[in-house]
Amino acid sequence: MKKMIALVDCNNFYASCERLFQPRLQNRPIVVLSNNDGCVIARSDEAKELGIEMGAPSFLIESLLQQHNVSVFSSNYTLYGDLSDRVMTTLSQFADQLEVYSIDEAFLNLTAFRHHHLTDYAHTIRNTVMQHIGIPVSIGIAPSKTLAKIANRLVKKRNKQLGVYCIDSMEKMQFALQNTPVKDIWGIGSQYTKLLTRNGFITAWDVARAPEEWIRKNLSVVGQRMYNELKGTACIAFEDMPPKKKMVCVARGFGKVLSEKHEVMEALANFTAMVAVKLRSEQLAATTIQIFVQTNAHRNNDPQYYRSLTISLPEATNSTNELIRHARQGLETIYRPGYNYHKTGCTAMELVSAEKVQYNIFDTENRARNSQLMKVVDLVNRSFGKDAVRFALQGFSTRWKLRQLNLSPCYTTRIDEVLTIKI
Amino acid sequence: MGFPSPAKDYQEDVIELSQYLVQHPTATFYFRVSGDSMINACMPHGSLLVVDRSLKPVSGMIVLAIINGEFTVRRIVQTRKSLVLHPENPAYKPLVVTEEMNMQVWGVVTAVVVKFKYEKNDRVG
Repeated sequence: MKKMIALVDCNNFYASCERLFQPRLQNRPIVVLSNNDGCVIARSDEAKELGIEMGAPSFLIESLLQQHNVSVFSSNYTLYGDLSDRVMTTLSQFADQLEVYSIDEAFLNLTAFRHHHLTDYAHTIRNTVMQHIGIPVSIGIAPSKTLAKIANRLVKKRNKQLGVYCIDSMEKMQFALQNTPVKDIWGIGSQYTKLLTRNGFITAWDVARAPEEWIRKNLSVVGQRMYNELKGTACIAFEDMPPKKKMVCVARGFGKVLSEKHEVMEALANFTAMVAVKLRSEQLAATTIQIFVQTNAHRNNDPQYYRSLTISLPEATNSTNELIRHARQGLETIYRPGYNYHKTGCTAMELVSAEKVQYNIFDTENRARNSQLMKVVDLVNRSFGKDAVRFALQGFSTRWKLRQLNLSPCYTTRIDEVLTIKI
Repeated sequence: MGFPSPAKDYQEDVIELSQYLVQHPTATFYFRVSGDSMINACMPHGSLLVVDRSLKPVSGMIVLAIINGEFTVRRIVQTRKSLVLHPENPAYKPLVVTEEMNMQVWGVVTAVVVKFKYEKNDRVG
C-alpha cells in the first residue's frame, strides 16, 4: 500500500514566535541570535532579503542590522518550546501518527486520508495552526519522508504563499526532483554529494533515474534507502516515540570571562542543576558525569587552559544536591587559578532509567528523602519560575549568565511576564 | 487504623479554575490590560485576559485586535455600513475601522480574571 506522508515545517519559527507578540514587526526584518547573542540562528523573510546569512556572527553585521532597523532578539527557548508544543499538539489531531522531528518540524502519516483531497486537507491543517497559534507553516506531502522533505523545500523556495505542495502524480514528482539539487536531498552528506556530482548527477531526478545496478554497487545501505525513497517507496519508518537520551549536557560560555573560582563554581552549579532537572523530567539517572572548564581561545593574549574530568558516581542519581556536590569536588581537582575562564559545563552520561536504580546497602545517601526533596523543588520551580528554589552553591550572581541583551518576555509560561496591552 | 472515611467513595477532584476558564488550551493565551476604556465590560485596569485564538470573532464579542500594528481590546460590532471597535467607557470614542488601519483580530477574549489586592495583615487568624 502506498503511503502518504506530510512534513509540516514552521516558517522561520523563532522569528515567527517573536512576531506573534509584537504585531508592529509584521513585514519587518527580524533576526534571532544564538546563546550568548553570538550569531544569527533565525531570520524572517525580510531579513533574508537583506542578505543576512544564517550563522552570521552578530558583531560582524551590527551596522547592517542598524542600517535597516532590523529587530534583534536573544533566543528565548522557553517561549519557542511552548509554542512548539502547541503546534505539535494541534498537528496530532490531524493524523494518527505524528513524529516530532525537531522543535519546528513534524512528520504526519496521512496514509489513512489518501483517498481524500490531500492538498485541501493540508490547507485545513495549515489554516488551523495559523488560526490557533499564529505560526505560519509549510507542508510537503509525498509517498516517502525523503520526498516529503523535498516537497516542503519546494514550497518554501518557490511558493511560500501557497504553503502546500503535494506529490500525488508522476508529473509533480518529476518537477519536484528536477528542482532539487543533489546536495539538498534530505540526509545526504558531503561525501555522497561529491560522489554523485562526480558521476554526473546534478538533481535528485538524476539520482532517481540512475540504474539500480549502479546504486547497489556504489552506495551503502543508507544510500540505497535514499534511492528507493526518492522513487516513492517509503523505507524510513515512523518514530512516534523519541528514543531515550544517551546523554544530557549543559555547557555554556559566560557573558564575560571569570577569574574567581567561586564564580566558575556558581556557573557550574547552575548548569549541573539544569542537567539534573532534565534528567528528572525524563525519569533518567546518571551513572557518570563529566565536567570541564575552558578559557577563551579567541583572546590571544590570555594563557589558555582546558581540562575535563570524568567522575563515576557511587550510585546512579538525578538529584541536584548530589550532582552539584560531585561537580564541586571535580572542580577542586581541575580548577587552576590565574586563568580567565570562558566556559564550563556538565554532561551526564551512562544514563539509566531512574526507577531501575540499584541501591548499594552501604549507601550513605538518604535517597528516599532526596527524591522527595527533588519532587518538591521541581514542583515549586514549575509554579514559581525557574530556580525559585535553588541550592546555595548556585548563588545569585549574574556574572556567568548568558549575554541576552534582547530577550523577550516568556509571554506564555510566566504569569508575571504576560504582555500588557494599553487600552 | 481507625474507621474508613464514609466520604471516600464520593471523593472527586478539586475544582481547577483553569479548566473552567480555558476551553482550548493550545489556542489560549493570557494578557494583562492597562487603562480603563473597557471598565463597563468588567475589565478594570490590571485585569488578566483569557484570549482564545480558535474562536471565530462574531459581532458583539470582545476581541484582542491589532490596529495600525498596535494591540488593543475592544468590543467588535458589525453595523450595516461598517466595522466598529467599541470601548466600554463613555469617556472613550468608538473607532470606525478603515482599510488603512489594517485591522486584524488576534483572538477572542473569553474571560477576565480580576484579583483583589489586600494587605497581608488583613488576613484573619
